[in-house]
Amino acid sequence: MMMSEPRSPGVPPAVHPDTLSSTVEMDPVEYTLRKRLPRKLPKRRNDVYVNMKTDFRAQLARCQKLLEGGGHREICVHGLGLAINRAINIALQLQASSQGALQLATNTSTVELVDDLEPEDPDETGEPMTRTRNNSAIHIKVFYPDPQ
Amino acid sequence: MLCLNHTDTPPVSISEAACVPYVSMEGTEHTSQSSTAETDSAPRMTPQVSTSIKLGQEGFKKVCRSEEDSPSPFPGLPSGVLEMRVKEGSKIRNLMGFAMARMQGDKGASGTEGSARGLRQVVFSGSGRAVTKTITCAEIMKRKVGSLHQLTKLRYKTVKEVWENSEGGASEMTVHRSVPSISILLSKDPLDPTEPGYQPPEALSALWEEREGFNSSQSAACKRPPGPFRCCPPLLY
Repeated sequence: MMMSEPRSPGVPPAVHPDTLSSTVEMDPVEYTLRKRLPRKLPKRRNDVYVNMKTDFRAQLARCQKLLEGGGHREICVHGLGLAINRAINIALQLQASSQGALQLATNTSTVELVDDLEPEDPDETGEPMTRTRNNSAIHIKVFYPDPQ
Repeated sequence: MLCLNHTDTPPVSISEAACVPYVSMEGTEHTSQSSTAETDSAPRMTPQVSTSIKLGQEGFKKVCRSEEDSPSPFPGLPSGVLEMRVKEGSKIRNLMGFAMARMQGDKGASGTEGSARGLRQVVFSGSGRAVTKTITCAEIMKRKVGSLHQLTKLRYKTVKEVWENSEGGASEMTVHRSVPSISILLSKDPLDPTEPGYQPPEALSALWEEREGFNSSQSAACKRPPGPFRCCPPLLY
């Protein structure tokens, strides 16, 4: 089944499905893909969720502030999908700037994401469907190790 | 005091074999999946993504790319462990086919060999853009082969790239890049739980408190009340 790209609501598809040539194998009904938010996240004071929209420097500075000013001995950096790379970068740079005082503990997990497929055709020849897919997530604990 | 590197990716040091005009920095956006390039005020540090763009624009072609081998991050690991190196272009299907066959053992192997029925441990390692794929492979294996102990390590890996000018072979540039890299050890045998990065098999519910309320909280996840047909615009994490 073909998935159309995510569009803002109210924008009709550029090509009407009926005008496509018969050589292309396509569904008669086009769907609008809408991604649902991932499950509601528990958020403690020292949880930082990394995304690709906010400036990298700002996210790094936020983690910095939590560790130094906030008095937290540890923070947890989370990243989902494409933000995994950014989360790893943040954690590694925090460690580098601490001159080795910080340690990292990394966990990985799988998160289920649900997409809502709504038919674009106003006749509603298709029915709204949902599709579930899995995505990888990373959770990096950045902490000052306990003095032995 | 170490100055913080404000780019999304660690700095790149370039050694030039011949004279190449130094291109001033612009805030170019990299079109591929990787992070957006950000300008840095320090003159010597060039965002590594925009370096590739500039070298490509200058007519340079990447000749070869070699990874510098660093010691295994897992102490005391037996040498007979299978190491799966995940690259950016690797197909997950191929990787998993190979790894699963090794872990679950070859039932049809010749009897005289007497080798162990399946490996006990496997390491997935990847760097740069392959990190997400590495994690995905490890997660798939954990799902198929249950009760595996996991140990995850992060570090920087140095990658050496050689770029050559396509017009004349005179100028050549060597780029040293440090990319984040991940190594995931999956083991049927129990590992040291006090080691940072240790993850016991299937003990994730501690991280996510709301497991049961998943279906009912879906509508609550949208911050704005849903309209007749449209829900709130997708917010991606």
